[in-house]
Amino acid sequence: MKFLASVVAVLVMSVPAVAQPRDPDFPASGKLDRASVVFLDGEGVRSILLLPEGTSVTVIGRDGPWYRITFTSSLGNQTGRIAPNHVRLDQGTTSAGGDARKVSERGFAEGRGFLFPQEALNDTTQSFGDGLVRQEVFLKPSRSFQLAAGVDLRGSSYDQVEDSWRLDFEDRGTLRPRLAIRRLTASVTTTHVSVDLGKQFVRWGRADILSPTDRFAPRDYLNVIENEFLPVLAARGSIHAGGETLEAVWVPQLTPSRMPLLNQRWTVAPPEAAGFVLEDSGAIFPEKSQQGFRWSHTGRFEMGLSFFNGFNHLPDLATAVDSTRQVIGVTRSYPELRTYGGEASIPTRVVTLKGEAAYFTSPDSTSEEYVLYVIEIERQIGEWLLDGGYAGEIVTTSHPELSFAAERGLARSIIGRASYAIDPRRTVTIEGAVRQDGNGFYARGEFSQAFGQHWRLTLAGVGLGGEDDDFLGQFQRNSHIFAALRLSY
Amino acid sequence: MNDPGIVQKLQLVSMPSLAVILVALAVSGPAFVSAAQDPRTVVEEAQRRSEAKSQRYDGVLKSFDAGGQVAEKRWAYERLGSHGQSKAVIRFSEPAEVRGVALLIVNHPDRASDQWMWTPAIERDRRIALQDRSTRFFGTDFSFEDLEERDVSQYDYGSLGDETIAGALCWKIQYTPKETKRSQYTKSIIWIRKDNYAYARGEFFVKDTIVRRLSYTDLRQIQGIWTAHDLTMADLRRGSRTQLVMNKVQYNVPLKDEDFTLQAIRR
Repeated sequence: MKFLASVVAVLVMSVPAVAQPRDPDFPASGKLDRASVVFLDGEGVRSILLLPEGTSVTVIGRDGPWYRITFTSSLGNQTGRIAPNHVRLDQGTTSAGGDARKVSERGFAEGRGFLFPQEALNDTTQSFGDGLVRQEVFLKPSRSFQLAAGVDLRGSSYDQVEDSWRLDFEDRGTLRPRLAIRRLTASVTTTHVSVDLGKQFVRWGRADILSPTDRFAPRDYLNVIENEFLPVLAARGSIHAGGETLEAVWVPQLTPSRMPLLNQRWTVAPPEAAGFVLEDSGAIFPEKSQQGFRWSHTGRFEMGLSFFNGFNHLPDLATAVDSTRQVIGVTRSYPELRTYGGEASIPTRVVTLKGEAAYFTSPDSTSEEYVLYVIEIERQIGEWLLDGGYAGEIVTTSHPELSFAAERGLARSIIGRASYAIDPRRTVTIEGAVRQDGNGFYARGEFSQAFGQHWRLTLAGVGLGGEDDDFLGQFQRNSHIFAALRLSY
Repeated sequence: MNDPGIVQKLQLVSMPSLAVILVALAVSGPAFVSAAQDPRTVVEEAQRRSEAKSQRYDGVLKSFDAGGQVAEKRWAYERLGSHGQSKAVIRFSEPAEVRGVALLIVNHPDRASDQWMWTPAIERDRRIALQDRSTRFFGTDFSFEDLEERDVSQYDYGSLGDETIAGALCWKIQYTPKETKRSQYTKSIIWIRKDNYAYARGEFFVKDTIVRRLSYTDLRQIQGIWTAHDLTMADLRRGSRTQLVMNKVQYNVPLKDEDFTLQAIRR
């Protein structure tokens, strides 16, 4: 018996050295293609079993020349080692989380309806609807490599979407593209290095209210309040060790924020333009690339420093008056921008303190220079998440300019948000901002409820008010309610 | 021979047979127990027996509100390390609206865990603040603290005698968090089965009021570790309960440290 076991052991142990099949992603399921010896795991005890051909096993990893497998025998669930070439792996299948990591997708179809009680001075439209279908697919051939692709399909009754069915990649138009690539990224991750290439989202900063260091994150402001982030074409590399991450981003061309349409209610012309029609005269896009570097620390507390050299994704506006046609042509340009930023998030026993600041400089001295900062306090009390703070601004170099400065429009404001999870299906959120001089305010209440596993209804009301010369106050005729119904799949 | 259920067993001479080992364990278990009445020793042994270098399972989370309505979530769970010095990632797969949401939990032996959540809708990770541990996890009856691992050294223990749970004789042990351990619970009472050191029930108190009850059922031995596949947490104040069913449980899966970082949960 001893001789037989030894012979079997020697024979089996010699097999892996001869042929080592390429490793699958573990865990992987399979069957034994012959009667095979398995060396059982155990503390201080070594037993071997002879498993018959066809036994189902799960390969959970490699141990030197062996596969580590789990299997169920008449003695229960067991773990052991076996020669890899005795296992016939199921094609294209892995067990446990393996399948989910190979290919995954997510998407939704959403319809939204807006109702504005008041007419705007330049726009009599008081209700409209829009629709969005978004589909994203993630392919992960191995643990270290991932491909991601996403497409948006849009429609609108408010002329906010292009008529053309071209597939947009650049996101540079004044209208939302009907069909657009939202994401197209190849990512490689190793122990200490990550590289992402392609159209992607690059988000920097820690603050929630306003994030001055988030420089690679343009937004769609066709609806200033219900805005959303736009992806950028970028190469992003990061080195991480322990809690430290050093990140470099290169963006070959600017993706601008999409500012409100000149003939719609979110563009409020100054009184001097009364009687004139605002007309888009196009944009002057910079031809140079953008770069950024960020160091961040993650651990008991979080902090980071960042540097950005590129262009403001929010435009400066140049106007040309054509008195004969009663038209004012508006040309968008994107000034050079260099920022130096810092951020911190410090959890304490009572609250989490967050702070973020960036010094915005103008390398070509064509724009204002200023510091934008946010101080924020966050606390969870039961199912309430409370978040409040102050967004401030210090102008260091004044420069007269006409611009669409949505970020600075929220500065010098006290901002707060409270959200409450009623149950796993329902949430209520209230948020608001008040300018420190009281000249403008914004308030928003939202109720959201899921129905079943796929549907969600969101109802919201937005109030805006203040003085005509205030960024928030100018939208005093744009208070509205909206409803969104989303089918996620 | 072709029947997978038939196992031929070869035995290396001078090694005890597997059957003998199993019998020996079954016999030696209670013998060890009687000598180990100290509650901390019991908890340490329960922890030792559940130790694994890593774990993976697919979870189905069903929340039943007081009216009996059900909300279901599914996730994949991976853990590297064990008992107070581990990292875990939870990736949601259902419902579709939370697909891609991931939670990174970094457990520490001497303090509350650090947790971050990746939300694809805003393409950003967000730290879950230290004082948030009592918050219900995604609106379920599990709080974030309930998802943390309990390290033996973070509690003081007291014996409350023996009690039978679902036909199994158990030690009834009171856990009181040490001053250094921040917990929403003033104390917990845990029932540990005497036959296999598996958890059978937990009751969690705020002051002297029981607020949550956790039942461990569908006990199966996976790779030598007795594992409850059905964990039901009842929130006694709200009258709701959440059932976590674990499928495809595996231990000692080869996982890499780089899969438990903020960079990794974004993917």
